[in-house]
Amino acid sequence: MEDSKTTLLPDFLLDLSSESMRTINGGSFEPRELSTAEISLEEEIDEDPAINLKDTPMLSKPTPIPATLGNCSVVAVDVSSIRVGESEQGLLYSLRGALVWREGSSYNFTRCGPLTFHVNDAIARSLNKRSYAKEDLTYSAWSPMTERVLARLRNTLERWMQKIACSRFSKGIVLLDGSLTAGTPDNPTVYVEELLNRARENSNVVIAFSKETRLCYSGKRITRLLDEADPPCMLDIDRLIAPQFPSTPVRLMGRVYVAKLAQISFPFRVDIDRQLPEESGIAAVGRLINSDLVEQGYPETLRLAHILSTFTANEVLAIQRHLSIEYGLRLAPRFSFRRSLFGPFGTSTEAS
Amino acid sequence: MKIYKKQGDTIQIICPPEEFVQKGDYLLIEDKKLRKGLIVQVVDIQFANLPGILEDILRDVMTEDSVQGCDYDPFRVSSQIEVLKDTRLLVCKIRGAIDDGKPRQDASWLPSRTASSIVPYPIERLASTKDGRRPLTLGRTRSDILTVDVKMLDGKLNIITGKKGVGKSHLSKLLVLSLVKNGAPCLILDINGEYVNIGRGKGNEPNSVAERIFVLTPGQNLRFSLAGVGLRAFLDTMIYALDLPRTSSKVFSRIWSELERSGNLNLNALNETIRRFGCHESVREAIYSRFNTLLDLELFTDDPSQAFDFSFFEKRMSEGSAFIINMKDEHSISRRLIVELFISKLTEQLSEMKLRAVFLFAEEAHFYLRETYWDDIVTRMRHLGVFTTFITNQPDTVQESVYRQADNIFMFNFTNEHDLDAVSKVAKIDAESLRLIVKDLPVHNCLVVGDIVRNFPVVVNVEPLNVQTMGQTRKFFQD
Repeated sequence: MEDSKTTLLPDFLLDLSSESMRTINGGSFEPRELSTAEISLEEEIDEDPAINLKDTPMLSKPTPIPATLGNCSVVAVDVSSIRVGESEQGLLYSLRGALVWREGSSYNFTRCGPLTFHVNDAIARSLNKRSYAKEDLTYSAWSPMTERVLARLRNTLERWMQKIACSRFSKGIVLLDGSLTAGTPDNPTVYVEELLNRARENSNVVIAFSKETRLCYSGKRITRLLDEADPPCMLDIDRLIAPQFPSTPVRLMGRVYVAKLAQISFPFRVDIDRQLPEESGIAAVGRLINSDLVEQGYPETLRLAHILSTFTANEVLAIQRHLSIEYGLRLAPRFSFRRSLFGPFGTSTEAS
Repeated sequence: MKIYKKQGDTIQIICPPEEFVQKGDYLLIEDKKLRKGLIVQVVDIQFANLPGILEDILRDVMTEDSVQGCDYDPFRVSSQIEVLKDTRLLVCKIRGAIDDGKPRQDASWLPSRTASSIVPYPIERLASTKDGRRPLTLGRTRSDILTVDVKMLDGKLNIITGKKGVGKSHLSKLLVLSLVKNGAPCLILDINGEYVNIGRGKGNEPNSVAERIFVLTPGQNLRFSLAGVGLRAFLDTMIYALDLPRTSSKVFSRIWSELERSGNLNLNALNETIRRFGCHESVREAIYSRFNTLLDLELFTDDPSQAFDFSFFEKRMSEGSAFIINMKDEHSISRRLIVELFISKLTEQLSEMKLRAVFLFAEEAHFYLRETYWDDIVTRMRHLGVFTTFITNQPDTVQESVYRQADNIFMFNFTNEHDLDAVSKVAKIDAESLRLIVKDLPVHNCLVVGDIVRNFPVVVNVEPLNVQTMGQTRKFFQD
């Protein structure tokens, strides 16, 4: 992977980062305030409310995952984003991706970034104008809403790195964070299709692990369906989900399961490439258990990818320092109406 | 560098890793708008407590051994992460201020947190006395040579302390040589025979003050005549060194006076007179046993050519010389006796203005100095002109009053908390600074506190000295 280090970051994203940052050269920005009390720095993209699956007698029993003897390469990709500050025109976000692979008993990684973007309406317009769609970006239409731009930039980097992972490895398992559902404006189908094609060409199996799921059955999260099950096992819930998206552009590109991979472990929603035979998918999960550590039911390779990609508060400070040195940004204290109007008599929290 | 916090006389400064700062260094926090500067000394260096630093380090620990990999960081942001991880917090103490270019010891104002500049400050500008008439180069600070005036030892009580093998005697010799060069009289109570070659260089060549150095070895070239010592000094010795009871001392005075009147004051006559003198048997026994102890030590002689000439001592001391009393291998009673005798005699000579003053260097004084002398040295004898420098590696053996009254303190490394407790009683520096700096001092570096450095505590790497080393511990293995 060493030789493909530079290819892990697409040139157009590098250019976009530089271009967007130039728009605030020498300006002022309010750095994100960090305190030890702030537990989660990760930028979570707003999610839709829970999806209730219809109760049905069709629900089958969990399938035991057969033990396999062979080992294979396991590769995982994760990308994180973080807000580092605000300018007068928009928000400043950083992205970083990590690709981790296990061969034999050793883990290796390549980490890319951070890339910082000045996310505002201008970047969205610029993207449209420059017709990135022809080459690398195939989003339906760019929304002027800056918060969506971040989701798209992050998705672009993530899918790009996943595609690289599917291309550079063969006869292995490619682990993704999230699901194989695509077709939203921020998550176009074409990317997922492409990476799955690459994976199949190289005899890889793509498996996506969701840490959180919005799918509910009988009023409970679907992961509760394996509460009593004997691991390692999987429960096929694909037949319950498919009817939920009859006429939407959203496509389930993976077959959906709930899987519990080890004793004393958490169950996860697991998506496996739909175009593979069902047995191959289940066998691939067996190979995964044999080829990687699955402490608490979650593959170690994917866990490491997450750890390596996420930003710490210290790193956010470093990015802020880099921005002020590289782009001459002046740190400006956050303006507070409350403080301005009431001074010391305002409450300490920013009530809305 | 930026000011982070101030609490009491402590200022915390955020310092980037590229700035090389050490404990003991001075910084100037300059507020150009106010045309004032705050002089602070770094007493501790910590890592800045950044948010999320624990998470960062945990991630590094988790992955560094088990996961191999590389970073592709096109904008080289990670270098900033390294900078932040290594960012330090300097804990500093306010030592003074500069107001319109003039130094002041007090600072009752606060510089701007945002507009102040913080730069290293060469403390020699304030602490040294380069224009002094009797310059003494103590050593080097991190920025320059520290030269002081030997006069700053005049009339002062000094302490040189630190654990074994850190360079106490070396500094002491430096002070002695400098004093002698400047015509000052010195008396050195040398318990380990470390000073005997102070007049010779490493190649055994005599140095510029060799002729003014006199080494006195008890029993060899240091023996006393009864007449030379005199009743008062002799009696003091009997009382304080040999614990002669007061009632017996009165009888002894009578015996001495009788012999003196008859012009027959010698050891044999004294011996005989004690034996036949009309007094209670127990008194006679008390005097006789102590007199015999004195005789056994062979410190007294009736031969005038062998007896130590106190008038010679007076003369050479007045011209500026160092007398070294080599007490190496001496019995503890002998040590106490000699010291008692010399101090008593010195006091006498100073009282009679035969001597102007004496710089007394006392190594490990608890081995030979009686309890009552500690307070005496700090108060009465100081007024008479005995300016003492105590040198010890057992700081708890020096009385607390000495620490409190000390004018100059030279502190080398201590790591033991008990020792640090003892030295932290000095009045010239706060205990926190002292503990934090002294604990990390390298060999041959000492923290100088007091009048000699104009009350700016300075860390000095003591000047090398071309003198034969005699203080090293004898070793069996020679390689």
